Amino acid sequence: MLGLIRPTSGQVRVNGLDPIAHHVEALRNVAYSPELPNIQTFLTPKELLNLISHELNFSDNATRNDEIKRVLELVGLHEYANTKVGKLSKGMVQRLSVAQALLGKPETLILDEPMIGLDPAGVAHFREVFRDFASKGNGTVLMSSHIMSEVESLCTSVAIIHKGKILFRGPAKEVEQEILNYSLIQLETSPLTAQTLQQLQQIPGVAHIDTSNNPNNTGTITLEIAVNQQDTDIRPQIADLVIKSGAKLYTIKPAENMLERAYLEALKETNEGKP
Amino acid sequence: MTSAEVITTFAKYEIKRAIARKKVLALVAFTILLGTVPYYALSAAGTTLIPNSVYPYIWVVGIFAVGPLFLNFTAILIAAGAMSEEYEQGTAELLLSKPVRRSDYFIGKFLGGYTLFLSILTLNIFLSVASAYTFFGAQNNLYIIPGLFLAQAFASLVFFSLAFMLGELIRRSSLAYIFSSAVFFSSYIISTFMGLIYMLTGKEIYKTIQIYLPTSPANSLPIQYAFPQLPSSLSTLLRFVNTTTTVPTINLSIEILLTYTLVAIAIAAIYFLRADISRKLS
Repeated sequence: MLGLIRPTSGQVRVNGLDPIAHHVEALRNVAYSPELPNIQTFLTPKELLNLISHELNFSDNATRNDEIKRVLELVGLHEYANTKVGKLSKGMVQRLSVAQALLGKPETLILDEPMIGLDPAGVAHFREVFRDFASKGNGTVLMSSHIMSEVESLCTSVAIIHKGKILFRGPAKEVEQEILNYSLIQLETSPLTAQTLQQLQQIPGVAHIDTSNNPNNTGTITLEIAVNQQDTDIRPQIADLVIKSGAKLYTIKPAENMLERAYLEALKETNEGKP
Repeated sequence: MTSAEVITTFAKYEIKRAIARKKVLALVAFTILLGTVPYYALSAAGTTLIPNSVYPYIWVVGIFAVGPLFLNFTAILIAAGAMSEEYEQGTAELLLSKPVRRSDYFIGKFLGGYTLFLSILTLNIFLSVASAYTFFGAQNNLYIIPGLFLAQAFASLVFFSLAFMLGELIRRSSLAYIFSSAVFFSSYIISTFMGLIYMLTGKEIYKTIQIYLPTSPANSLPIQYAFPQLPSSLSTLLRFVNTTTTVPTINLSIEILLTYTLVAIAIAAIYFLRADISRKLS
């Protein structure tokens, strides 16, 4: 996509242009932040951003300096602007990688594992930075990641790629239904009777109830209810039934890690079972 | 921003990068040693070895004594790592993912490295003249220095280009240094043998091979330029350094050097413009 490697087959178009044949035009408003970036250790963040600002064709020194200051503050590196990259921590280098990508207000950000090496505060901060970039800046973020929870929390569209083949591509909210053919509701209650479980099973839309991880250390049980109807939210019915059975209902919510489940399921469909 | 400005940016970056690799500092230290110690040694040797008439021209000794070996080897050390070290460290990927022409990057890296080499050459000439002045008094015929500088710069360009090309093709700095040095020393050694065989057999083919080896015009050109402008009395002193010209004319030296240089740059450029910029190699 960045015109660095020629495709072995097929073709890539960025802004409608071949990024190899028309590198400058295709990537004019596209920025890239590599995974575990290899940044010149002898440079300071300010020097690196200055170098890249020259590559990006900034009109004058004042604009350049303002923009460098803006991105350094945005990623929380302004205090280390004049520290050699070789002396920065892994997380700081990752922040610098994102800073150089944000330089010049591009329209599209290509991020390769952007959260690697960041502390939890950094992860939370960058989530907001990327969301703002997409919403306030009206930009597009193309993120490559193996951390499914990150993808789930940030992305509106998802493509699952395995060994160069796209196994799924579409809106993130459709992944569950398209690949798994069900969604999951997670329930934490006091132990339920067999009769209550049977009644839950009979609610329209309920495909399957998984009780395999019970009971918890706290004396409660966790159920995962697979639902194959998307148009109706059956959580109120489930809650009513549990409470009427005399059991205590602690939580009821859509299950997490659905994207990870979908990813694993998609891999199973390639007959490889495990990645 | 124009293409020239982007090239200048990459050239400055390359100079800074090469200096940060420390080897340039070592080269500067050697240049200082080679530009001062020989003069001190000659001065200490006394007048019985060096006739007084040679004193005003002794500044050329430092240049011709270090030129063939040290300057060409300096060119190799700077050029072989210019591209290859960026691949090894994975730093080329980030710079080339920006909307810049690969050709600008290539030219900037080449010019940056070559500018650094020219700085060391300048230091070598300056120290030779300054040391000669310090130990042997006022120096004559200094007007040939600009021409000599250009001749030496052009002569070393051939090994700079060959090392730059090998760095790009191999993409491993240590291998690029080894192969470039191997080309340099092989050429040097083969040239000597070819000259010897020619002397023994008189067969022209050996002389022709010797002439067209890259070290021959690289060594000959500065001598071919400078010697006609220096007194013959210098020959007593210069017999201690390699001043043989194996290439018959200055024009042929320039043609051979130009051919090698252009071919090396063309191969490196074509390969760089077409090859993938992969992630960190080691």
